[in-house]
Amino acid sequence: MLDNTADAQKTPLVKVDNLKMYFPIYKGVFRRQVGEVKAVDDISFEIFEGETLGLVGESGCGKSSAGRAVLRLYDITDGSIVVNGHDISTSHGDNLRKLRPEMQMIFQDPQASLNPRMSVAAIIAEPLDEHQSLTKKARMERVFELMDAVGLSRDFAKRFPHEFSGGQRQRIGIARALALNPKFIVCDEPIAALDVSIQAQVVNLLEDLQDKLGLTYLFISHDLSMVRHLATRVAVMYLGKIVELAPRDLLYSDPQHPYTQALLSAVPEADPTVESSRTRIILEGDVPSPTNPPSGCNFSTRCPKVMDICKIDTPEFKQLKDGRHVACHLMK
Amino acid sequence: MRMKSILIGAAAALALAPAANAGRGDAGHVNIIYWQAASILNPFLSGGTKDVESSSMVIEPLARYDENGNMVPWLVTEIPTVANGGVSEDLTSITWKISPGILWSDGSPFTSADVVFTADYCMDETGGCQQLAKFSDVTNVEALDDLTVKVTFGKPKPFPYGPFVGGESPIIQKAQFADCMGAKAPECTEQNFGPHGTGPFRVTEFRANDVISMEANPHYRDPNKPAFATLTFKGGGDAAAAARSVLETAEFDYAWNLQIDPAILTQMAGAGKGTVVSAFGTGVERMMVNLTNPDAALGDKRSTVEGGPHPFLTDAAVRRALSIAIDRNTLAEVGYGAAGKATCNVLPAPAIYASTANDECLVQDIAKANAILDEAGWAVGSDGVRAKDGVRLSILYQTSTNAVRQDTQALVKQWWSEIGVETELKNISASVFFGGDQSSPDTFQKHFSDIEMYTNLFNGTDPEAYMNSWTCAEIPNPGNNWLGSNMPRYCNPAYDALSAELSGTADIDERARIAKAMNDMLMQEGAMIPLVHRGRVSAHSNTLGGVVLNTWDSELWNVADWTRN
Amino acid sequence: MLNYTIRRLLFTIPTLLFISFIIFLLLDLAPNDPTGNLPMTITPDVREKIRESLGLGQPIHIRYFKWCVQFFVNEPLNIVEQYFDITIGQGDRLRVSSWSTRSPVGDLIAERMPQTLWVVGMSYVIGILIAVPIGVYSAYRQYSWFDQTGTFVSMVGFSVPTFFTGVLMIVIFSVYLGWFPSKYDTLHVVTDWESFVFQVRQSIMPVSVLALFNASTISRFMRASMLDNLNQDYVRTARAKGMTERIVVLVHVLRNSLIPVVTVIALGIPQVFGGAIITEQVFSINGLGALLIQGIQGADIPLVQTLTFIFAVLIVFFNLIADILYGILDPRIRYD
Repeated sequence: MLDNTADAQKTPLVKVDNLKMYFPIYKGVFRRQVGEVKAVDDISFEIFEGETLGLVGESGCGKSSAGRAVLRLYDITDGSIVVNGHDISTSHGDNLRKLRPEMQMIFQDPQASLNPRMSVAAIIAEPLDEHQSLTKKARMERVFELMDAVGLSRDFAKRFPHEFSGGQRQRIGIARALALNPKFIVCDEPIAALDVSIQAQVVNLLEDLQDKLGLTYLFISHDLSMVRHLATRVAVMYLGKIVELAPRDLLYSDPQHPYTQALLSAVPEADPTVESSRTRIILEGDVPSPTNPPSGCNFSTRCPKVMDICKIDTPEFKQLKDGRHVACHLMK
Repeated sequence: MRMKSILIGAAAALALAPAANAGRGDAGHVNIIYWQAASILNPFLSGGTKDVESSSMVIEPLARYDENGNMVPWLVTEIPTVANGGVSEDLTSITWKISPGILWSDGSPFTSADVVFTADYCMDETGGCQQLAKFSDVTNVEALDDLTVKVTFGKPKPFPYGPFVGGESPIIQKAQFADCMGAKAPECTEQNFGPHGTGPFRVTEFRANDVISMEANPHYRDPNKPAFATLTFKGGGDAAAAARSVLETAEFDYAWNLQIDPAILTQMAGAGKGTVVSAFGTGVERMMVNLTNPDAALGDKRSTVEGGPHPFLTDAAVRRALSIAIDRNTLAEVGYGAAGKATCNVLPAPAIYASTANDECLVQDIAKANAILDEAGWAVGSDGVRAKDGVRLSILYQTSTNAVRQDTQALVKQWWSEIGVETELKNISASVFFGGDQSSPDTFQKHFSDIEMYTNLFNGTDPEAYMNSWTCAEIPNPGNNWLGSNMPRYCNPAYDALSAELSGTADIDERARIAKAMNDMLMQEGAMIPLVHRGRVSAHSNTLGGVVLNTWDSELWNVADWTRN
Repeated sequence: MLNYTIRRLLFTIPTLLFISFIIFLLLDLAPNDPTGNLPMTITPDVREKIRESLGLGQPIHIRYFKWCVQFFVNEPLNIVEQYFDITIGQGDRLRVSSWSTRSPVGDLIAERMPQTLWVVGMSYVIGILIAVPIGVYSAYRQYSWFDQTGTFVSMVGFSVPTFFTGVLMIVIFSVYLGWFPSKYDTLHVVTDWESFVFQVRQSIMPVSVLALFNASTISRFMRASMLDNLNQDYVRTARAKGMTERIVVLVHVLRNSLIPVVTVIALGIPQVFGGAIITEQVFSINGLGALLIQGIQGADIPLVQTLTFIFAVLIVFFNLIADILYGILDPRIRYD
């Protein structure tokens, strides 16, 4: 378990401050901008080398947008992102491209994220051509090495993505991400589209690779038990904001934010005695639209413990004594 | 600038003129555009004007008509007449004397055998010869010697100039077409596309429905003609584009048959590059009145004499009123411009045949038309349509699909509504209307309407066959597969008698008197309502000289005399 | 793939026979007459003789059978004979002959093919060459001024009829400026640089009129297909790999977007052979389109029958080509 002192000793590999990602909305004959979707609205976190930061939240909360924004697959609205000492928040074009090898992404849909007209070898080798100058033989060697690493038979190199099963495709996606020896990988719901039986294999692969290669993960998922299994620390997002960020065990055993509590109360327990005493907190109403979030605390419309102040002031994202960060007016 | 270019042009013309037209081929190249392309150069297999006229530069008849409708000897020494002994006293034979020394374009001599062969070729039963009518009543064509041909008819022919006269009846070479008789005629593509001829040009390349290349015939009888060494006869596009290419862009030297809006033509001519020429032949846009009952309820007897008379068009008063309610001058001006003039005759030309007895209709008189109808007892009903004894004056008026004709229909409908006549308009695609499909109810021969409108004409100058169209025997009916040209179903023994008299008369003045009488009878009895005497409009470049527009023969009849100014 | 192709080809035989019969029946039932356009001076009984000489008196099934023999047996044999310069059996075989020109339809088509392929084919190629980059860039910069202009121009391109644009061009470039000839010279032969320049000059107007139309259609397909692909996950993957924008767009997106466009292009090729009826008329190109329309107007049944049937064959054939191309280009598609 990590605490404050440990944080201070380690250097963060990724440092995100006040990241905002707003998507404009155009309407009408002249396509004027009529508003914006605040997909990511002022979030800050750090990820330390070798750790896995879990990012959880329900669908549409902005976690995938956050993951893509961190890797600068979007042009961000505001904030700063520092990866391995490079501030990439304002980098563009070639400058940004040169930094790509350090940070990679594994996508949710292994089918859609692989170019259907490229063979496995071509998919894996393409970034090598772009960023390294290898001989043809060395490049092929590297491709085979990566295929071995993710558990794909070398015979499959000439095949096309559609000829594989979902789990195999995700292995291709992982091999591709690893090709340039990245330090930091954003895993955007990498197992959501897979069968349950395959999920475990892929998760184990990710863990093995982390051990072997010392990777740092931002693991985005809506699957709380999988995150509990993998993550070192966990951040909970609601409507574009991080509401709670805490070391894993602390968060799962003693959630502080009412939203985290509600979320965790929905997770079934393996232990029947605990399971029978589990009381679910049912949230009323729907998630408000990110185009027009409520004033004050974003969660105020549904919070079971809502107070008057919640509807007026946005709660600060504060660090508590036990090292966790929570954004809630209940925390003093 | 303009003055300068005119001066330079004039100077250049002066400098070049004497040299340019000195001898054969000196004038270079000439471009002719016919917006309907030639399909074949054998007028016996295609009677289309484009085919007849394009081939007229290559193959020639024994005699032609000039621009005034007079016959001129072409490949013969003189026009045979009774007076010079060329036509027998009993009018049953005609003897042509071929000019000596005429050569085919392949260098072989032109002889009477070729003329005899041409007659055999066209009169072959299985050949489907499209000019067969030219040979009607011919019983024998024989060569008396190498340069003399005698044509014998089965009955007296006061006008024996059908075979071998005019663009539709040229002579083809026996040596070339010998294997193309009868059923084999259509298979002789090479011959049909490149006939040897005696004309000023010969074919170098023929592309069906597209373009013909020709060059001066080296064996042409006049060593100094034609002035042009080569010639392109281009087809395709439409009349407006053809006019533009002569009058505005000057890419072509001659454009044929420019039936377009007269205002547009005038505007194009304003560019100063070409000249619009027009001439009047025998064409008359006319209405055919149906004197029989076209009621669909009659079934097979519809529009036949057996079906009974028309419910109201048999009333002469109605026909006269319909005729004088029409403003023919407006129709001519709107639809035809320089190529049309009002007429009250179905036989408006040549001049000796033109009657003046019917000129009442030249001036529109709605009031008089109304008065005539009132007097005849046709009273205006509550719906504004005249009726008598329960019969309403409601007319179905059909014609072929054509912008000018539809304009005419609309105008006429308006005028007739002013005299209390209701008109329903109908137009039919030309290929259906003029086609002979037995199964179609919309052919002009069936005439399943009250009034139909189209243009008819006759070739050459002799109206006998044309005037015979309205004898009793010519009435189309199911018995003769609707083949017949008497569309009004007009039947008058007096008229038939005149027709018989005409066919037995050789004297030209006497023939003119009879033809006029026939015309007047048709007009006064109202079997037809003539509207517009239609001429031909063509255009030539200002640099092209020698053009003489001829409506009695091929427009290209004197292409040998064309020069470059 | 081979089995699939063979199976498809076998299926086309009954289809095409059926099509040929339907065409024949339709043409026969149409109230049209080959003597309808002849001058009025040709008398009705002569017309009747002409019709008989054309074989119109025979019953329809005999005429259809004759056409089939001529088209499927005599014409191919004739081609073989001409090509290899040999004689098979009796050399004298009845070919499909046009009624208006009395010459073999095959020769007419062969004569007109060059100008149609040159003008219409060229306009198709140029149309594609213009359309693909425009479609790609319009999609890449969706809603930019370039895209908006492209949308407007292609709307104009396929909504303004070619008889208008064609005549407009003639009035501007032939009448006022005098740069290009208004009539196409089909006899022109390219032998040297000068004659080539003339060929280009006389082709510019018809080719650009048609190319505008083709480019309008294809650029819309290209744009739509690009837009479909630009938002795909694999494009994001390519960007995440750190590929340059050029490679992302031209290699990843364009290659995938071209799959449907290539099939649309393949399906459009029969139209090239069909010629451009109106444009050919406007510029007097007298290609296959003009041949067809003249045949229709003149009720030249053998000509129209043969031409429409050849178009039917081409359409069926290029449908097959499009399907096979799809299979080759898209590894996800497998036949059999």
